[in-house]
Amino acid sequence: MLSTIERRLSATLRDARRTAARRFFVDRQTGLWRSELAWLGVRSRDHARVTAVLEETPDTRTLVLEPPRGWVPHRPGQWTRVEIELAGVRTSRCYSLSSAPHDPELRITVKRVANGRVSGRLHTLRVGDALRISPAEGQFVLPTHPVRLLLLSGGSGITPMRSMWRALLQSDAADVVIVHHARTRADVIFAAELEALATRRGFRVVVRLDDEHARPGEGGFDVGALRTAVPDLEEREVFVCGPPAMMRRVEAMGLPRLHVERFAAMPRPAADPDATEVLVTLGGHASPGGRTIAARTDGALLDQLEAAGERPASGCRMGLCRTCSCLKRSGTVRHAISGAISDAPDEIIQLCVSVPCTDVELGPIVQHAVHAAPDERASERTLDPREKLARRSAQKVDPR
Amino acid sequence: MDTQSIETSGRFDPANGAVTSVVTSDATRDVTRSPMSPTTELRPAHGKSSRRLSRDEADALGRELDAIRAEVLADLGERDVAHIRAVMKAAGAASIAGRTLLHFGIDPVTFVLGTSALGLAKILENMEIGHNVMHGQYDWTGDPALRGDTYEWDIVCPGDDWRSSHNYEHHTFTNILGKDRDIGYQFLRVADEQPWELRHLAQPVTALALAVFFEWGVGMHDLRVAETTRGEQSLAELGRRSGPFLAKAGWQIAKDYVVFPLLAGPNAPRVLAGNVLANVARNLWTFSVIFCGHFPEGVRVYSEEETKDESRGEWYVRQINGSANLEGSRWMHLMTGHLSHQIEHHLFPDLPAARYPEIAPRVREICERYGQVYATGSLPTQLADVAKRIVRLSWPRRAKRAPSAAVA
Repeated sequence: MLSTIERRLSATLRDARRTAARRFFVDRQTGLWRSELAWLGVRSRDHARVTAVLEETPDTRTLVLEPPRGWVPHRPGQWTRVEIELAGVRTSRCYSLSSAPHDPELRITVKRVANGRVSGRLHTLRVGDALRISPAEGQFVLPTHPVRLLLLSGGSGITPMRSMWRALLQSDAADVVIVHHARTRADVIFAAELEALATRRGFRVVVRLDDEHARPGEGGFDVGALRTAVPDLEEREVFVCGPPAMMRRVEAMGLPRLHVERFAAMPRPAADPDATEVLVTLGGHASPGGRTIAARTDGALLDQLEAAGERPASGCRMGLCRTCSCLKRSGTVRHAISGAISDAPDEIIQLCVSVPCTDVELGPIVQHAVHAAPDERASERTLDPREKLARRSAQKVDPR
Repeated sequence: MDTQSIETSGRFDPANGAVTSVVTSDATRDVTRSPMSPTTELRPAHGKSSRRLSRDEADALGRELDAIRAEVLADLGERDVAHIRAVMKAAGAASIAGRTLLHFGIDPVTFVLGTSALGLAKILENMEIGHNVMHGQYDWTGDPALRGDTYEWDIVCPGDDWRSSHNYEHHTFTNILGKDRDIGYQFLRVADEQPWELRHLAQPVTALALAVFFEWGVGMHDLRVAETTRGEQSLAELGRRSGPFLAKAGWQIAKDYVVFPLLAGPNAPRVLAGNVLANVARNLWTFSVIFCGHFPEGVRVYSEEETKDESRGEWYVRQINGSANLEGSRWMHLMTGHLSHQIEHHLFPDLPAARYPEIAPRVREICERYGQVYATGSLPTQLADVAKRIVRLSWPRRAKRAPSAAVA
């Protein structure tokens, strides 16, 4: 009871302090100076600083980071949204944290994607540079009680696994099989660590290389080989992260306890010659009566809205972070990854993975609210009541 | 509606388009003799007037402007972000320097320097930062510090009021009598088409007072006091609209006139005086820039009738004819928040304002090609023009002839 009052009081005080600060220090200028100071070396709440850059493979680097001030330790397997500025535009991508929660520093391990603007930029960072990262998120996390595990990864999908195995090294009762797939020996990320891990009690490491083990024309991942390597597969808690083709095959196995993390950007739905044109109506738009946009039934709403000049808030663009969540008033959309259909009115959908099937009426679209900045409250105040409602119900629907 | 009056007065010939200054001046006399009507067409601009465009012509002009717009949008990048951040840093630094000089200095030199620095900071924050950021000119960056829909600027007008009364009403219904509440701010008579009332006799004085207290005028604009006194708005609605304004004004008064002076202890009167002067300097400057943007001779007003189902191209044409530019140096443009390029601003209110000088020559060329007046002049000229107009229109009868007609 007392603590409730105390909490409420401190929240009120915090609000008052924030308002006063906003009114006295000309609003957003504080935010500006904060990011300036971050580059000068002052620790800030939303900037991490690069303290080392490690070459893992020819195309993969680990950024060792000093965590932002007030960083809440992540759970092994979680990711953070990294935000950088490209040609003046803030752009973010999700990266698994490859360090364990007890490690003194944070790590993200970044594979340079061909033509990838964000990964390309991250590879140019040097010691001392600052980058904005969001609090850790994600449900792809290690169970808290000891269980028998299979950590199954392909390529850069190994990054959340490192966080997990480092956490497991802390406990005595580990029973872990790590199966990792890479194209060639030179492409194995954390190769030395995997080698050392193989000698630890409770750990078994299987590394499969496409150029040495896979039969020609088979691609990297093979279900039969996995069953042979891990006969007690069905009894294990399975965590899988890798290229889309591998993920699909693993999901098709129907394993009872499967945890999946998708990090490849969402495959763009192939242009469908049979696609038809539908209308998407945006609520709460500046122009009276909303705005109606012609969209096609073979593309994600987010891409199509952006092509029409709208700037909805977005983050991961692969159905993870829910930055682009939006109220769908009516109409039917299909989830681009799971194929799930949402046809009931007033459902929350994620614009980045929702493909319209019929005419769709959307609620107000939140504009690029990057991540919880000090201005969050202010933006809440300017929302119209329906949108507030939508936000609240979004929080309810979202199991996170 | 006015097509007929245009033809009978012989002001344009849509067929050949070109209008000579002699014809224009004749037209001026026609207008001045004709009974006052809120729908009077076109006023000449310094001996020229814009050619009336057919819808097809207007749309062709619109497409050319859209092409410029698309080009700038595609080119937005690091340069624009660097510019606005540099201005924000300069304004922040000037504000800190100004306040420090006022707080700790004791001599008149630091007083003048401190007040000037603070005034400069307030002008930059008000014009290049506040006004432009709140237009959403930097929304594309995704930087929360540059977000237009939550920015709160350093004047007594609440940001949300401004976003609705300025960004939406004024920029959508620019210079439409009865819809653009910015025409004379509902109490000054700045267009012949506005009916004369007794209180307009005092408008040279009220306009001066508005200049000194301009931020208060802007802040109270959306309360619709005039509408309430005329019985068009209920007192309850006035009360509802006053809430955010009083809250914002309270914070501004507390900041500049109570807390900062008190923090200075024995230096309180000096800080208070410096803050008052800095705010007044900013008020005079913004008043001048904004009045020169829409009220010099040559800028015309429109009737609701003639803007009914207007096309995008025609909307562009109205923006051109409803605005006037100021000429000056790069620094002058910056200090006006690039509102010295009022025409470009009204055409593209959501493009970063620092881009206006770059596109201005092309906009001007398009205007010339389509026979549209691209009104422009130096700040003193335009300001004198506005002053003359305010004095002239304070009388019920119009001057014998408009200044521009004198050339004929």
